[in-house]
Order: sequence, then C-alpha cells, then structure tokens
Amino acid sequence: MSEPFDEGFITRYLLGDLPEQEQIEIEDRAFTDARVMQDVLAVEADLIDEYVQGRLKDRERRQFETRFLASAERRQKVEFARALAQVARESVLTETIRRPSAAIAPATLWTALLATFRSTGPAFRLSLAAASLVLVVGLTWLTVHTLRVRSELAQAQSEQQDLEGRLADERARSQKLADQLQGEQQQRERDQELIRELERPREEPANDRSQSAILSFALLPGVSRSGGSATTLTIPQSTRLVRFQIGIQPGDDYKSFRVNVLSSVGRQIWAQDNLSARSGRGGPLVLLSVPARLLSAGEYELALKGVTDDGRTEDVGYYYFKVRKN
Amino acid sequence: MEASSDALAEESTSNTRSPRSRWVLTQGAFDTLLACLDDNRDDAGRKYVEIRKNLIRFFEWRGCPFPEDHADETINRVARRASEGEEIRNPAGYVLGVGRLVLLEVYKEREKEHRALSELSHTTAARSYDFEEVEPRAECLKHCLEGQTADNRELILQYYHGEAAAKIENRKKLSERFKTPINTLRMRALRLRERLQVCVGDCLKTL
Repeated sequence: MSEPFDEGFITRYLLGDLPEQEQIEIEDRAFTDARVMQDVLAVEADLIDEYVQGRLKDRERRQFETRFLASAERRQKVEFARALAQVARESVLTETIRRPSAAIAPATLWTALLATFRSTGPAFRLSLAAASLVLVVGLTWLTVHTLRVRSELAQAQSEQQDLEGRLADERARSQKLADQLQGEQQQRERDQELIRELERPREEPANDRSQSAILSFALLPGVSRSGGSATTLTIPQSTRLVRFQIGIQPGDDYKSFRVNVLSSVGRQIWAQDNLSARSGRGGPLVLLSVPARLLSAGEYELALKGVTDDGRTEDVGYYYFKVRKN
Repeated sequence: MEASSDALAEESTSNTRSPRSRWVLTQGAFDTLLACLDDNRDDAGRKYVEIRKNLIRFFEWRGCPFPEDHADETINRVARRASEGEEIRNPAGYVLGVGRLVLLEVYKEREKEHRALSELSHTTAARSYDFEEVEPRAECLKHCLEGQTADNRELILQYYHGEAAAKIENRKKLSERFKTPINTLRMRALRLRERLQVCVGDCLKTL
C-alpha cells in the first residue's frame, strides 16, 4: 500500500500550486484508492473552512477563489461552510454561556472566540460586543435578582414555618385549655351530683339518719375478675355515696389520675379526671366518690389510669368488684 | 487502453459551457458501458455512480466552471468507445484519462474566451462572486442538525470548529470522547458533512 499524501501537499494540489505531473499523481491515486480520495476531500473541507474563516494568506485566498468559486457546485460547498461556521460559532457561544467549564479547554475556547471575532466584519464585531455587554449586564442583573428573590423566599418560608409553629402551639394550648375546661365542668357536675347526694339525707326522716349516707370501700390492685375473688360491696338502701379507696403502688407517681367504672357489659357508669393520690394507712391511694344509686347489683370493672407530666396516659391498674343491694 | 487525445478532441465542438460531441448517448451504449464496469448490473450501477461522482470532483479540483457537464461529456465519450468495441480493462483509469482530455479542451476554450475579453480575467470574475445571505442556509442547517443524533451534532460542530492548533486539539479530544481513531473520525465527519450539505440544499428548495 502506498504512503498517504501529506496534507500540505494535497492543499497545494487543491490550490493549483503543483506541477502537472504531481497533480496527475494525486488524481490517479484518488481514482484508484478510496482512502486517498477521502483524504483529498477531507483536506478540501478544511481548506474551505479556512477560507470562510478568513485564515488563508492573500496568495492562497486568490488561488482559492480562482479554483473554488469557479463552479456553482463548489460555491455551494463554500456557502455551506459559511453556514456551518456560523452555527458552530453560535453553538460554542451557547455552550460558553451554559457551561463555562465545558469540554473544550479554556485556551481552545478563547482562541475559538478570538477566531470568531477575527473572521467577522467590524459591524458584526460591534454588534457582537454590544450584545455581549447587554448579555453580561443582563446575566449579572438576573443573578443578583435571583439571589435576592431566593433570599426573600427563604426568609418568607422561614417566617411561614415560624408562624405555623406558633399557630400549632396556640392550637395545642387552646385545645389543652378546652380539655381542662371540659374536665373542670365535668368535675363540677360530679361535685354537684355528690353534693346533692350528700344533702339528700338531711331531708330523710330522722329514723334513717342513724345509717351512714357514705360508704367507704377499699379496692386493692391485682384483684382479677377471673380469679373469682372479686370484692363484694353490699350497699344499703340508705347509702347515697360510695367512696372508693383505690390502692396504688408507691411508685405510681403521676400528675393526676383518671378513673372509668364500667358495668359487666362494658357500659360506662362513672368517669372522673384530675384525681390525686394521697397517703393512706395501707399505702398510697386514690379516692373516688360515686353516687350509690348508679351502682345497681352486678359486677363492675374500675380502670385506673395515670396522667404523666407531658399529658400521656398510662394504665395503672384494673380493679373488679361486685355490688349487692340491701 | 488509454484514451487518445486526438481521437476524442476532434469530436468536440466549440461550446463555451462544455466541449460537447455530436454523438448522443444511447441505451445500448450505456448498457455496454455498465457491462465494462461489472458483470453484475447492480454493482455496475454503483460503480457508474461512483465514477461519475469522482469525475465531478476531478473537474472541481481543476477549477472547471461546469464539473457535472464535463463529467457527463467524459462518460459519453467512454460509452461511445465501449459501444464501438474498445476494450476497457481499467475503467477508473480510462475514464480519468478521457476526463483529462476533456479538461484540456475546457482549458483551451477558456483561453479563447480570455483572449476575447482580455480586460476581464477569470480570477477577477471568480472574485466578483457575491456570497448569498447566510441566514437561510444556517437555519436550514440547524433544522438538518435536529434530525441528527446528539453525538453527530457534537461531532460536526466540534470537528470543524477552531483555528489550526485548536482544531487539532478539538479533534484529538473528539477522538478520545468517541473512542474512535482520528482517521475514522475524519471520514465520519466528512460523510456527515456531505449528508448535511445535501439536506441543506433540499431544505433551501422548500423556502
């Protein structure tokens, strides 16, 4: 296989700068060796680009114009090269703006930009410079504006989060107050119920006053319903109030206690919040007063729950008892 | 067998556009020409297209004003010779030989014109060419590029961009980027350039 021609040699051929015999040599090879043909075409494309970008020396430019602008077919190639150069320039400028550290090395980019300026007319250069200035000013303004808007947006979001947090706190506080109010109302209703129960004996006949209106009853923890050992409470007819002394463990330190008294079928008979623990002879206990008339004969479950400082509710114990009526 | 300058030159006329013979290409002569190029008609057709394309390039390289006309004139002459029974062993070389004879005639015609219009040289005429407005062609090129893959777009725009040193550096980077040898990359870029030029030409016709 013959050696490929040097690119400079092919360039001289294309510019008509070679003796006839060397021209024939290149043409013969190009017609019989596709690789040589491709080499000549590749050099031709580069030469056209060089001309379009104004990089040919005067003599070369004149030779080029004599040879390359002679036929319509070749002029089309030159026209195409002009369009390609323009689109490539725009592409590089776009890439420069979009990706300052693009794949092209900075030096290459710089030389490319310089070449772009060199290959254009004064009017275009002036327009390009003006456009660049407008672009730089615009980008600067856009960057500053974007940063300011982002900062304001972040501040607004922060304020919004702050407000939402405060609103949530206020809602929680309001709910807590409403719960407390409801609890206190319920407590007051129960107190009034208890007071009414306590006041009723005064209206009873004198012969019934001998019997106590209040019946105290101790409930111990751990007494299960299934164990069959549920405490039986016998409530006389004259009893108005049953006071439960609910025993708890010494470690059951809660802010307050809540009690639910349920019948054997699960119906709530009595419920009370905000009960406090106090010391008794057998240990700490919680006192609960229930109107006797609510406790008909049957089996009951008393659920005692402790309320922690942070408002959570924990099971303390379940107590079971039977009621008999005399 | 190489073409004879005298035998072929006497067939030409003094047409300024192209040296034309009075002989007209017939279907029989064209079939004979194809048979000279290859036994298989399809392959012969492909070779014919390739030879014609190369002839046009040859006349372009030599700075002729009507490369296609000169190429067709050359092929007509070869077809005539073939139909007259001349044995053509090396079609590419034979055709190029005939092409050179046509080229000589083109040069002679041009000399006559220059002498007649001594004050107007060919160089001056060539330089007086006014380039077309680049925008429509650039827009068409952008449109054609949209039909290409992202890799092809990057290849064509990077491969042909930059000054001499920067261009070489760009091409090295592209070679690494596409993991393709420089020579292969050059052929790929060239074929792509040719395709785009055809696409742009078609696009301009629709404007």
